[in-house]
Amino acid sequence: MDMNAYLSMFIDEAGDHLQALNDNMLQLENTPEDLTIVQAIFRSAHTLKGMAATMGFEDLASLTHEMENVLDLVRNSKLRMDSFIFDTLFKSLDALESMVQDITAGGAGSADVSAIVASLQAIVKGDYNAGGGPAAGGAAEGAAGAGDSGLQLDQYQVSVLQQSMDSGHQVYHITVTVREDCVLKAARAYMVFDLLERHGEVVKSEPSVQDLEQEKFDRTFTVFAISSLSQEELQQQIAAISEIEEAAVTKLDPESLQILARPNVPSAPAAPSAPPAAGAPEAAREAKRQAAAAKAQTAAAGGALPRTIRVDIDRLDTLMNLFSELLIDRVRLEQLASEIRKPELTDTVEHLTRVSGDLQNIVLKLRMVPVESVFNRFPRMIRDLAKSLGKKVELVITGAETELDRTVIDEIGDPLVHLLRNSIDHGLESVSERIAAGKPETGTVHLRAYHSGNHVFIEVEDDGRGINREKVKNKAIASGILTAEEAGKMSDDEIAMLIFAPGFSTADTISDISGRGVGLDVVRSKIASLGGNVTIRTSEGKGTKFSVELPLTLSIISAMLVKLGSEKYAIPLSSIAETAIIRQEQIRLIHGNRMIEYRGAVIPVLSLSRILESPDYDESAEEETEVIIVRKGDKWAAVMVDEFIGQSEIVLKTLGSYLPNTDIVAGATILGDGQVALIIDPNGLIK
Amino acid sequence: MGEELKVIVFALANEEYGIEVDKVRTVERMAPITRVPKTPPFVKGVMNLRGVVVPVIDLKGRFGLKETEPTEQSRIIVVAVNDMEVGFIVDAANDVTDIDEDAIDQPPEVVGGIKAKYLRGIAKLDDRLLIMLNLSEVLNKNEIVQLEQMEA
Repeated sequence: MDMNAYLSMFIDEAGDHLQALNDNMLQLENTPEDLTIVQAIFRSAHTLKGMAATMGFEDLASLTHEMENVLDLVRNSKLRMDSFIFDTLFKSLDALESMVQDITAGGAGSADVSAIVASLQAIVKGDYNAGGGPAAGGAAEGAAGAGDSGLQLDQYQVSVLQQSMDSGHQVYHITVTVREDCVLKAARAYMVFDLLERHGEVVKSEPSVQDLEQEKFDRTFTVFAISSLSQEELQQQIAAISEIEEAAVTKLDPESLQILARPNVPSAPAAPSAPPAAGAPEAAREAKRQAAAAKAQTAAAGGALPRTIRVDIDRLDTLMNLFSELLIDRVRLEQLASEIRKPELTDTVEHLTRVSGDLQNIVLKLRMVPVESVFNRFPRMIRDLAKSLGKKVELVITGAETELDRTVIDEIGDPLVHLLRNSIDHGLESVSERIAAGKPETGTVHLRAYHSGNHVFIEVEDDGRGINREKVKNKAIASGILTAEEAGKMSDDEIAMLIFAPGFSTADTISDISGRGVGLDVVRSKIASLGGNVTIRTSEGKGTKFSVELPLTLSIISAMLVKLGSEKYAIPLSSIAETAIIRQEQIRLIHGNRMIEYRGAVIPVLSLSRILESPDYDESAEEETEVIIVRKGDKWAAVMVDEFIGQSEIVLKTLGSYLPNTDIVAGATILGDGQVALIIDPNGLIK
Repeated sequence: MGEELKVIVFALANEEYGIEVDKVRTVERMAPITRVPKTPPFVKGVMNLRGVVVPVIDLKGRFGLKETEPTEQSRIIVVAVNDMEVGFIVDAANDVTDIDEDAIDQPPEVVGGIKAKYLRGIAKLDDRLLIMLNLSEVLNKNEIVQLEQMEA
């Protein structure tokens, strides 16, 4: 077996654990007395250590091990958390993160962490160590065997075993010895596992399953297993497997389990049935508490964890592509059925339509990811940022469970980082300014996500100083973005939008974080490239709200198909307000522009055929013409077309990288007749 | 002897050209092409190649040769270079042949009105001459941008 097969799994899981560590550390910083959080942190660190050691990333394993030592003291109330410890642990997390990144990039995950390790060791041994002598000793002992987990069970395994016992299952410790002349040791081991898994579950094995499969064991291996069989049955059945010399099955009771669960107690693998009695009462109590905490954690997560699998994103993309093909065929079949008019065919096609509609929902849902995966790195970022700026900031996240298409999720992180940094650096005042302004000294930044129709909104709102209209206006006039006359006519929010102009910055001093005038224009173009939009609401002295509007999905959209002479085009339904028919004489010339009256307002009329240089259609020859009313923000326009064909679900495709999408053409789709139709982006029509 | 190179032979005006087989995804008969507005004149539009939207350019127009109406012999050669898939309209494509890498000579400055930078070389093949194309230069996107700017 190849370790590479596990590498991607390791990277994914290491990322999850680091995230959990970061989250819990932040929580702990707020409630340093809460030992259950320390437990959670310890568990994550421990699992990470084990994983890293298994994969052979020694530096990662040893650093996590040092962290574990510190955390061990903390959870045993032998050490109180203080800011030095927090900072050191956060630094360790950063180091771990960069190691994992290195591994992701194909490196060996090695890094010089001696400084951090020294700090961690100083915490364990140094002034903090009052009364922690023996524990530190024990921890150091454990250091020698980092990764070699021996026969210890981690908290998770203990809680699994504990729960099985509570629910009346038998838990066994089994030592299996194969015969000396056994040729296929791995195969025999597999047969034992197969047997155990048929009647229950293997919780832990020593050596690990991987090692067993690679025959990396001498003659004996031990497993902890849950089984529905009785002790004798199990013993008989294992012994019945050929070339097995001996199978020692011991039934475990809760007490022996708890003693086994005690970490850092070097237990003797040879005599697990008579577990070491060292420090019995205290150890037992300790283990009980751990097991209880682990159980509470599981219970909090809703009893059974949701059953999931990790799928390569490429496979999902392939599924999506194949499904789009199916959709095209479906539309073609619908057309054929309506031409042939045979009831049997029509019925079948209708059924197919319903099934594929359901399938479409599922396929789209598969690609949806909660924005949480982007949001969860922000609390840590905000903490560091606030510290470096000397500001007090509280980040309030709501709607993290809101789901977005994976492609959008992958791209939205950086723009949001920019917006948050901007809010904290420019938006929020310093503590003294806030007090002077009669505000609470801790500034609040809200990060919200919510659904609305076919869109997801993400808002970044601060209660800071707001955008200074005069400052922005003067700056814009000074840098030639607009004239004083134009500026006079603009609303506050329009002025505020100027900060998205390229090269714009109102910061008086350039800081590390923002203010170099790069950033916000990049944010806007990035969001626009995702088919989204960003707006600002600001009120001076009270705060600023950035609102990012994003499409739910990028791949399948409802569109209106229209005809221009011989050509067909698709216009996304989401940007169509309504359709209408107008007569030529309704079009009025105002200031050289063609306008019509629409619901009491006068809006411009655009000729799609002229914009698209249509070769064989000109609406000016028609007396009546169909128009589509489109809107972009609060701007409206009537777009003249030849004929409406109807609504259809279309699959968005790019024009290929040779022809980049232009402002007007947002992509292409394949119609039921196999022809390609271009997708018109009405936002590009309204300037 | 240099390495053997398998090439697809196609005709453009009165010359014969070659593209390495491994860069060609497929050769198709003429199919309906959807016009894309605001593109250079040699970009004929996009076609549906089994569910994938592929841009199609007229190779003669690309090289500044006179474009002609497609005939029964016209083909679309879909090539894949640098993550780009593009279809070339050519006058005919009906031959695959092996040529010796050593038999490819440096191109003269201008061949049949095509600038040398689009060419990889000239391959001598018995009594025929094959003009080998430099595909990444033919598909150079910067040049499209320049062309667009010139038009604007």
